Amino acid sequence: MNGGPLIGTGSGDGSGQALVVEELDVSYGEAKVLFGVSLCVEDGQLVACVGRNGAGKTTLLRTIAGFLRPSAGRIRYGNTDLIGRKPYEVARLGIRYVQQDKRVFSDLTVRENLELASYATGDRNWDIVFQYFPRLKELLDRKGGYLSGGERQMLMIGRALLGNPRVLLIDEPTEGLAPSVVDLLRDVFREHKKRAAVVMVEQNLPLVAEVADKVYAMKEGRIAAEVSDPAAIKKHAYEQYL
Amino acid sequence: MRDLEANALILKRALLERMLSTLKWWAGVLVPFGILGLAGWVLPLPFVIEVLIFSMYTMACNFLLGRLGFISFGQPAYLAAGAYGTAFYLYYFGTNPYLGIAAGILTGFVVSTLAGAVFVRLRSDYFALVNLALTVIFFYTLQKVLAPITHGDNGLWFLDRMQNTPVLDLTAPRQLLVFAWLAALVIWAFYKYLDGTVFGACCLATKTNEDKVKFLGYNDFAIRWTGFVIANTTAAFAGSLYGIYFGFVSPEMASAARAADPVVVTILGGTGTLYGPLVGALAYVGMKDLISRLVGNWEFFVGLLLVTIMLAGEKGIWGTLQPIFQRWAWRWTPEARE
Repeated sequence: MNGGPLIGTGSGDGSGQALVVEELDVSYGEAKVLFGVSLCVEDGQLVACVGRNGAGKTTLLRTIAGFLRPSAGRIRYGNTDLIGRKPYEVARLGIRYVQQDKRVFSDLTVRENLELASYATGDRNWDIVFQYFPRLKELLDRKGGYLSGGERQMLMIGRALLGNPRVLLIDEPTEGLAPSVVDLLRDVFREHKKRAAVVMVEQNLPLVAEVADKVYAMKEGRIAAEVSDPAAIKKHAYEQYL
Repeated sequence: MRDLEANALILKRALLERMLSTLKWWAGVLVPFGILGLAGWVLPLPFVIEVLIFSMYTMACNFLLGRLGFISFGQPAYLAAGAYGTAFYLYYFGTNPYLGIAAGILTGFVVSTLAGAVFVRLRSDYFALVNLALTVIFFYTLQKVLAPITHGDNGLWFLDRMQNTPVLDLTAPRQLLVFAWLAALVIWAFYKYLDGTVFGACCLATKTNEDKVKFLGYNDFAIRWTGFVIANTTAAFAGSLYGIYFGFVSPEMASAARAADPVVVTILGGTGTLYGPLVGALAYVGMKDLISRLVGNWEFFVGLLLVTIMLAGEKGIWGTLQPIFQRWAWRWTPEARE
């Protein structure tokens, strides 16, 4: 169990749990970076992980995505155990990870970027991508390397949405983006959490207050607080634990 | 009625665009190879044959470097695998050069499949060095360990063992030129085709960011391995043709001193460009032939040219010329005239 306080109604009765992380320990060589981290996200829920740099937020997402192997703990996706699975196997199960770096395949056009995702998932319907990000429709023949930061983020998220994944892991999606793009992404997250479970690492607390259903405050590799009361989330009640 | 007319116009335009696109595709294939084919009647035969075979060798390296992001100093090993596969068949087992080529390609496929299973797990400098190590191992194995069957530095001579073959007789230089031309054309068209496939896009994506390829659900190892095998089987095919052309192979083919050649020619031509290997091979073999007639150390001048090209923008000869040609071609389009 997480050591921090619980503010609100808790994480549900277990039904509809899309992703459950239990007592996760992760180390980089000798250095342990996650200590007994537990997290639960249900279908139709957006869970935010907040914390200072080095708190272990990205490590948590990378471990769920299969890039790091934990030394202890479990990661359950429905009835499937994710530990030991390769990243592409995790992706094929329906968990998509949008990295923080905003790097797309720069030598490929927007169309080719989307086609890659389509081929992998068998989903050739791009309506949802263009519904959320109409701008991408105008940029189909532009190479990824010539997109702005916001356009790249749209493409990365759009690409991850193809195949209708059940869980979306998003790492700092609004970092360094213009306010208009942040507004767009906020609307997208609000809308998309109706279709999938979302785990979002974010330092933009006003955005978290607007879109998150539950917030995990992380500090030095541990969950310092778990907040699921909407009023407490709006007031940034977790801030004192960061 | 108006709707029908509008639909007919749209259909007509779509058909025209498709025809133009197909025409452009075939022009892209046939114009450069048409020029190379004509060169076979104007320029010295050995020169054109070497350009064609070397361009195939470079296409392999170009795919590794330009599409998968692998810099390999081990290409002589795969070239030698193909050459010795052909040589062993023609020296010890049979006389049909086509079967010799098939044996060379098969040998290259097996060697690159086995080596690739281990090597593609490495990246950048480690990949380059482990391939270089393979070249050194190949050289000493062919020169010393297998000397009883490879005849060491004396090499294997099988020119007089090759039988005449119907349709294209590979023992006749002019017909070998036609075969090399066809082989280079098919390999080049294959790489051009690959560029437009999902596999081609996966290769480029792996080069840019392999982690993200995994997030999309692709097995990045399988992509790199397949690409590696395709490229080095091509190198083996080139080696096999060298064997047929000279009627002789020696361990010198796998010499580490020649390890940088395909990489240099790839960069010289323009890394990752489709025409780069053709232009690079033409420039490299041309300089080698021309400059070596005037001075002994022709490599010095190739090195100088390479440094100049790198300083000019790392695009290589074709990478620099391509935008100029594109601008020139654009001037003739209806949009530009308007």
